[in-house]
This record gives sequence, structure tokens and C-alpha cells, in this order.
Amino acid sequence: MVDVAVVGAGQTKYGNHALGLKGMWAEAALNAFESVDGDFSPSQIDEAFIGSIAFGGSQLGNTAALLTEHSAMDGVPVRRVENACASSGFAFRDAWMAIKSGQADVVVAGGIEKMNDLTPERKRFWLGVSGDTEWERLAGLTFPGTYALMARRYFHEFDSNHDDLVHISVKNHAHGAMNPLAHIQKQVSFEKAAGGFMVADPLTLYDCCPTSDGASCVILAADHVVKQFTDTPVWVRGSGASSDRLALHDRPSITQLKATAEASKRAYQQSGITPRDIDLAEVHDCFTIAELMATEDLGFAQRGQGGAFAREGRGMLNQGDVTINSSGGLKSKGHPLGATGTGQIVEVFKQLRGQVADGRQVRDAETALTHNVGGSGATCAVHVLGRERQ
Amino acid sequence: MTSGTDVWKGYLLAWNETYTLIQSPFSKGDDRVFGADSDYTTLAIAALQHRVSLGDTIECISLAEGVNGSIFTMATDVDVADESTYDSCKWDLLIGDDATVVLVQRDIQIELPELVTFVEVDEDFHLAIASAWEKELQDAHVSQGAYVSSSQYNEGGVARMALSGQQFGELLVWPPRQLNEKGDREDGRVSLTPTGNVASWTKLSASGAPSEFSLRAPLLGGLTTVFLDLDDGPKGVFLMVDDEDNDVKIGDAVELVVRRIYAQEGMIRYGLRGRII
Repeated sequence: MVDVAVVGAGQTKYGNHALGLKGMWAEAALNAFESVDGDFSPSQIDEAFIGSIAFGGSQLGNTAALLTEHSAMDGVPVRRVENACASSGFAFRDAWMAIKSGQADVVVAGGIEKMNDLTPERKRFWLGVSGDTEWERLAGLTFPGTYALMARRYFHEFDSNHDDLVHISVKNHAHGAMNPLAHIQKQVSFEKAAGGFMVADPLTLYDCCPTSDGASCVILAADHVVKQFTDTPVWVRGSGASSDRLALHDRPSITQLKATAEASKRAYQQSGITPRDIDLAEVHDCFTIAELMATEDLGFAQRGQGGAFAREGRGMLNQGDVTINSSGGLKSKGHPLGATGTGQIVEVFKQLRGQVADGRQVRDAETALTHNVGGSGATCAVHVLGRERQ
Repeated sequence: MTSGTDVWKGYLLAWNETYTLIQSPFSKGDDRVFGADSDYTTLAIAALQHRVSLGDTIECISLAEGVNGSIFTMATDVDVADESTYDSCKWDLLIGDDATVVLVQRDIQIELPELVTFVEVDEDFHLAIASAWEKELQDAHVSQGAYVSSSQYNEGGVARMALSGQQFGELLVWPPRQLNEKGDREDGRVSLTPTGNVASWTKLSASGAPSEFSLRAPLLGGLTTVFLDLDDGPKGVFLMVDDEDNDVKIGDAVELVVRRIYAQEGMIRYGLRGRII
């Protein structure tokens, strides 16, 4: 079966963006096109998948067609992929599958979200639409509340407390401070992060990702055309995905995300590697507790040891077992919902090709993982990428 | 025992063989008033649930104006009398103008006891909450919150109000699903016991609360939500009653009672809320 590689990747800066939907997408697409080492023309694109929740005050239906129109991809078969915050993780998987199936050779996967052009009231509407509306929402929950329930239960079941989450926040801000594309490019002290405004007890402002605008775009190619574009492709070695019950109360446990565990298991099996082989991971830390649980669900820490993993700095850039969120993660880099999944691919593409500025470059990075979660874990896409084809 | 007084579902209770009196425990000066999420409908449901707990079989009742009949039936599975069935009903639900309801056997003369109100509410808070509900109920008030249509709300009404679940073989499921794990449609309706223990909880700040609650959450200082392990097995998330008074911890025993949740499009959405017992 055909192998698939990423041959180009680009994104906008994340944050409160001056550009609108069309402008941001065009910028991300152009950055992706220009990142291709060899000759590349958008006319070579066979298919496109664009992840978005269509959050902002713009085009809701047929978003993808509007975006291709503004990025020199006229006529390319395109669709919007929606899986909440995992939209573009799944767009990437769909792109990979399109090539794997033999129906396409060059495919674009991307994502976009314009979140800061709405009033606070409207934002709160969109921030809550991906949870279980009928039961959780009527119980007063938005995602900070949902993840707060997980955090408090985790602290109850295991040897962990809020300080462990603070360590994650401090780490990701330290990484993001070195990332010129991050939404929040500043370090925070442990004391400041520990004493943040209480958003949803026990989660403070420093446990929650910001509301960001942004777009990301990657170009995938089949093995038999890769050489046209680059001598240093990043190979997609495994793609795993899964889903879980939408509402927390329908799950056997709220201190782990089953979809993450299953998706990563599939991705590891497909790529023939284990968690120990991963040099860097872009992990879906929409809330710090999400990263803590993900370190366990992805196999970097034993069950119940995620707190110690964070406390001991084992995810710090070039210091721990595996660098987690070298980009700053959702916490610091930002979380433009639909753009996050392929934004993670952009980061590992550049890391694996050694194209990140010195201070933030993961040393000897050979193999990377991306982990993109929808909502409170109802959907998850995990990808393993590497410099080596197998 | 054939009569008594007690606290029932968070309300004051007096009863004998022929009646159940339910009153709000809150007062403002000399006036008895509703709490932050109660009204005559929630009091009426509590009264009926009390009669059922005594072993009475009530198939239909006549309801006073001011009680939402469809919500009442969803919560209790008891029919509300119309003109054609009025004569066959043996129980009447009467309401007073002071946050009081009486469920009484028809044509029985009763003398009601005086119940002592035990919570004095802050007058400003009470007025602000009442005003917020009034605004929320206006047709013109359109929440920016996640939309649960009246149709969708009603579809889950019995499960939401009466904790009605499904028995799939050995598995007790709540909230109900459309198909069981074999892919078959199966009703198997069972009512779960409305009690459980707190497995986790959070208090969401007013600024982080869903926008359906944007008028009241600031007054309440946020919203407290509990994740419950229900005594019958399933789990669920619920707001707590009279939110500002809660101090919850893991392991607390909680009972579920029908209260107001929020209003949208002129319709109050009722549901179960938790109350520490």
C-alpha cells in the first residue's frame, strides 16, 4: 500500500488576528505552499479537507469552498470537516486516507477558526456547542467545568494535586515564550500560575487555553510523487482515531480518555513503535488536566503517574523523557479550534526537519506524535510521524 | 404514623391521611417566598412525590392554575384532569399566594398547620433573582446558549424529571438511548432512585457559566455542578439547588429534586438538581 508523507506545512500566528477567515486561510496556505522545497503549484492538489467549527461571524455553510476560492485551489474537491476541536486532526486523517486509498496523490489538510470577532456572549455559545448539550449543558457545564470535574476526581483517585497542573502550565508557557507564532509568548512563574483567577474550581485561568484565531495548512503526498517536492519529507507512520461517549456520565471513568488510549494504540501499532520511541509530542492541552491525563493515555506515564510526570519535568524541552508541547501547546501557542490539529502537524514537521529556532529545537528529533481531541474526549485523532519511512 | 411535619425535597412539609402541605422554607420579612429555582410547579411535584412515598396511588389530579401540567406529568407520571376527567379525579392541588401548595383529597375539610420558615433571604438578592427570571422568560430574551429546542427538551423530559432509565439485560442505562448495544430498539423503562453520591464537583465562575445562565449566575456567585454516582448504578451531572448555599465535597450523599434550570423562548426548562442530604 502507498506510503504518505507531509511535504509542506504552514500556519498563521495564533492569537487575536487582524485578518478575517479568508485572509488567515490564504496566509496559512501560502506559508504551506512556500515551505515545499521543490516546485509546487496549487493546481497539483487533488483533494482538500479543511477542519473548522465555523465559530466566527462569517461563512457557516460551504466554508471550505470559500477558502479554496481564496487560496488558488479553484475546482479542488473540498469539504469542511467538523469534529469539534479535533476537526483538523480528522481532516489530516481523511487526507491520509484519500492518498492511502489510491484516489489522490497530493492532498491538502488544514484547519481554521476565527474566534475573536464575536461578543463574549456569542463566544460562550460556541465554546459550549461541542459538549453534551442536552444533559451536561443543562447542568451548567461548559468545557472548563467538564475538565474541572475530571481534575477534581483525578486528584481524589491518585497522588496528585493542583500543583501538578501548575507545572504543566509553567512548562508550556516556557516553550511558547520561544515560539514567535504562539498566542501568549511569555513565561509565567509557578506562583502566578498557582494563584490565577478561579474559572471552574479547581481550574484557574492558567489551566485554560486562550481563545485564539488562527489557520494551519499541510500538504500530503503519495510516496511515488514525494521526490517532486522534497528530499526531506516527514512520513506519516501511523494514523489512529477513535470515539467515545459524548457525555462524561456515560463513560466508565472520567480520569482517562478512552478515545485517546485507543487512537494512540492504533497509531503505535501501525507505525511499529512504542511510546518510548517518541522524541516529541504535541498534546491536546486545552486544559492542563487534559495534558496530565494524556501523558498516561498516550503511554508516556503509567496510570496514576501523570502528576509525578508533570512534577518531575519529564515533558520539558530536551530535559525529560519526551518533549511535550514544544510549541507551547494549546495553553500558550493557542487554540483556534479547527486549526489546532493540523497546527500540531506544522510544529512536528518543522521540528523533524530541524527548522525550528535553536532554543526551541528538539535535539535529534526523529519521531513525533500529535494528539488532537474533540471536546471532552468524544473524538480523538493521533498521528505518528517520522523522518524515516519505516 | 398518620401525620407529621418534616423537610421534604428541600421544602417544608406537613401531612396526614388526607393532605400534603408543601411550603417554601424561605421568607422575606413576614412573607414566605420561593427560593432561587423554585415555583409552584416544583412544589406541586414535591407534594405528589410525597403522597406516592406514603403508598398512595394517584392516577389523576386537578391542578390549580400556575402549575405547569405537562412538566408535572413528565415528573410524576400522573395525569392532569381536564373537563372530561375532572369528576373521576380524587385529589386536588391547590396553591396559596405565599409559596405554598396543598395536595388534598377532594371534598375533605382540612385545617392546615403553621410551619416555621427557617431561612430569611436577602431582600436585594431575592428581588434580583426574581427580576432575572422575569427577563429570562420574556419572548424577546434569546439566550446565546447552546440551543435545546422545546421538542428536544420534551423528548428527554421523563428521563430528566422522573429519572426514567432503561434496563438492557443486566445493564441499567440512564439517560436512555435510542438503540441498545445490539442495535435493537428497546424501551424497558425503569425509574431510578433519585439519590447518589458526589464523585466530583466544580463551581463554575459566573463569567465561565453557560450563557443560558448569564442573568442569574452573577447573582449566585457562579454555578455548582456535581457529578453523581447514582445509587442504582448510572452516573449523571446536575446543578445543585439554591446554588449560593452549597458547600459540596466528594462523597456527599445527594438527593435529586425537580427545580427550575433556565428559561428560553418564554418556556421554563425544569430538571433535576442535587440537594445534599
